[in-house]
Formats: sequence, C-alpha cells, structure tokens
Amino acid sequence: MNKIIILLLLFNKLISFNEASNQIIARQGQVSFFSYTSVENIEAKNNQVLSIIDLSKKEIAISMLMNAFEFKKSLMHEHFNESYIESDLHPKATFKGHIIDFDPSLKVQTRIVKGIVVIRNISKEIEVKTEIQNINGKYSIAGNFDLSVKDFEIKIPPLLAPNIAKMIAVKFRFEYEPYEK
Amino acid sequence: MNLMKSNIYFWLFTVIGFISSSLNAQDLLDTLEKEHPNTPQYEIATFKGTRISLGHSIENRKKGVLEIKAMNLFWNIPNRPSQSFVTDIWTARIALEYSISDRLTFGAGGSTLDGVFDGFLKYKLINQRRDSNTSPFSVTLFQNLSRQTKRYKAFQNANKLQTSFTSQILIARKFTPNFSLQVSPTFIHRGTSAINNDPHNHFAIGIGGRYKVGGHVALVSEYYYVANPIKSKDTYSPFVLGVNWEMSDLLLQFQLTNTRNMVEDIFITQTPNNFNFKDGNFVFGFNATFVLHLNQKRL
Repeated sequence: MNKIIILLLLFNKLISFNEASNQIIARQGQVSFFSYTSVENIEAKNNQVLSIIDLSKKEIAISMLMNAFEFKKSLMHEHFNESYIESDLHPKATFKGHIIDFDPSLKVQTRIVKGIVVIRNISKEIEVKTEIQNINGKYSIAGNFDLSVKDFEIKIPPLLAPNIAKMIAVKFRFEYEPYEK
Repeated sequence: MNLMKSNIYFWLFTVIGFISSSLNAQDLLDTLEKEHPNTPQYEIATFKGTRISLGHSIENRKKGVLEIKAMNLFWNIPNRPSQSFVTDIWTARIALEYSISDRLTFGAGGSTLDGVFDGFLKYKLINQRRDSNTSPFSVTLFQNLSRQTKRYKAFQNANKLQTSFTSQILIARKFTPNFSLQVSPTFIHRGTSAINNDPHNHFAIGIGGRYKVGGHVALVSEYYYVANPIKSKDTYSPFVLGVNWEMSDLLLQFQLTNTRNMVEDIFITQTPNNFNFKDGNFVFGFNATFVLHLNQKRL
C-alpha cells in the first residue's frame, strides 16, 4: 500500500514538473528609469527584478522591490522610498500581461506586450513594444516606455516640481533561463 | 484498523493531489512572490536627519557623504531696553560631518557661544529590520569630546576651561511609516566644575520622537532628564519642539526650545532656564544642513 502511494505521489510530482517546464524565469532582470529636467537629471537602476514567462500561455509577469533601485546619490534613494514611492506601504511594483502574437520558435521578433502595471497599489494598463530574442533556447526581452508621474499619485511639492520630469523614461532588459520549482 | 489506515492514506493522497494541482494552476505573479530572495529588509529614514532636532538621532549618512551644517539659536535678554535687530543674541555652531562608511560618521564643529569646539564619532551598531522581528530596534553608539575655550557665561563661577565627554547609546524604533521614537541613555563626564561639590559625572536619559505629517515635513520633539544635576545652580531639562523640512539636498530644522547651546554635554547638563515663552527663556533655532555626495555610485 505504502509503495503504491509513494509511486502515485511521484507520478503526480512528475506531471506537475512537466507542466511547469514551459515557464522561463529571469532573476536578475534590469529595470532603470530616468528623469531629465533642465535642473537635475535623476537616474536609477534595479538589477534584481524578477520576471517569468509562460511560453505556452504567452503570459508574462514582472515583480520588483522598489527599495532595490540604486541611485547615484544615497539621499535620492532615501527620498525615493520615503517621500515619493512610500515603499514602506507599497514595497513592490508588478506587471502582468500578454505577449501578443508571440511565437516562441522565432529567433528575433518585435511584439506588443499588453498588461497592467501596479505601482503604489495603483493599476494602469500599458502597451509596450518589446524586442524578444531566442538564441538557442535562451530568451531575452528588452524595451522601453514612458510612465506619467501623475498617474500614480506621486506627490511632488511645488518647490521641487522643476526637478522631477512629468514623464519618466523606463528601460528594461530580462534574460531568462528554464524555470524549475 | 487496517481499513482505517488505508482510509487515511486515501485522504492524504487526495489532499496532496489537490494541493499540487492548485500549485500548477496558480498565477504567475504568485510564483514570482516566492522567488523574491530572502535578503534582509532594513528600515530606512527612522529620522530624516542625523539629528532629531538638537540631539543626535540614530541616523548616519551613507559612505562618502559630507554634511555641512549651520545650527543657529536666537533669544532675547529679559528686562533690557533693547535696540537689537530681531533678537538680542544669536549663537551659531558650524560643523562638518563626514561618513567614513555606511556605519561610521566623524564630525567636528565650533560654536560661537563660549567658544566650544567639539568632535564626535558615531557608529551604527544595529539596523531595525522591516521584514522580521529579529531586530526590532536600531542602535547607534555616540561619543563626543568638547572643549570650552571661553568661560561659560551662564555659570559665572566657572573660572576654569573644561573638556567634557558625552557617551550615548541611541536606541530607536520606527513604529509606523509616520512615527518613530528614540530613547537615549547618556553619560556625561564634565572635566572641571566651578564648585567641587558639583558632580563630574552625570547620568541622563533623552527621549525624542518624530511624526511625519507630509512627504517632506515632520514634527519632532526631544526632552532630556538628568538624574544627578549640577548642585551649585538651578538647571532645567532641555526641551525641543520642532519642525523638520527637507527639500532635495537641503534639510531645515526649526526649533522652539529653552537651551542655548548645541553641544551635548552643555545643553543636557547646563541649561539655565526652563521652557516657556518669556524673554530670556524662549529660544528660537534653526539648523540648515546641506548634504554633499562626495563619492557617487556608478550605475
């Protein structure tokens, strides 16, 4: 009896493993953002962004910790987390969407990724033009888009308004490997 | 018995099967949730400045940051027909504070009142963690040395110059994103005393808090209690009520207080008047701190 159950459990595990192997993950994805104004240029980079793609469902998800963004000036990191993003209350930013007309077998393709980005618990639908590469089964995606500061209800005091751009340019690049649980 | 046993196995199997199938069906974002590495998340900005208002907070600046600080206090002399512009007396402390590492800060400053020169070392021992209860407090060690190069006016008997030491263990906790509290057990050694009866060593405890009212503005307050005060003269506990306002690289701290000096050993043990709004007792102050990043991170 015991042996049968163990066998059944193993079999069950095997099935779930096969199902999951269609997913690829990026653990050190890069997301950076830029704010260019005549007063000050602000630049930040996060090298620990997580992303997962389900190749069969053509779905993509991204999750990052806001306090993992690095700035040139350490005080900017503090202000970003404490005064603007409030990462105490909203530690993560996420994205979930579909890659439209995605063909996993193509080597290079430019596709639209459509989905919902969540920053500070505020959701916004975006469409991003993305370049997807597949070099011998190693997928990577990259692209850039703009986000409006206003959309996420980020409060900027009037005195500092000239220092921060209204539109923030975001750049991303993820390199994937097979996902095993 | 045997039947019951196999029954249990059956249920176990169904439950495990159910769990594993639900795992497969889960959302991609939930999968990522589990993939976030378990790096410790430390609390930041328990206080925004290296000082709550007058006294030191647990905060240190990051490595390579130079703070240029101008601290000012203003007050009136009572019962004097005064033609001074705005206030009778203005005293300032100009200081430079440099962070040698993320944990260690060195600073030195000079005050116009009594010509006090001071230097200090500040070391961040423990960081409060946000993601677990393993370290519920931030702890910073503070040691200063101050040298009085002029006679202290409030204590006319003092005819000797003095070198004093202040040691503090600063313990703070950020309770909510808006509210932080600090307790600072303090030991002060005063080099000389006017009257030998006066203790050379004082024990004191400070308590300070910050309440964030907006993204860039916080209300702060501080109070120090001295367990064995100077005997030859009445002294009072220093009290501060203040507003901290930061904009970009500049931090402004406004104070309503009763103390007239900005160096720890003097304002904690030798504040000659209590806090009220009468001339001579009421002191208005502001600190302007400019933060200069001498080594910027390369992205």
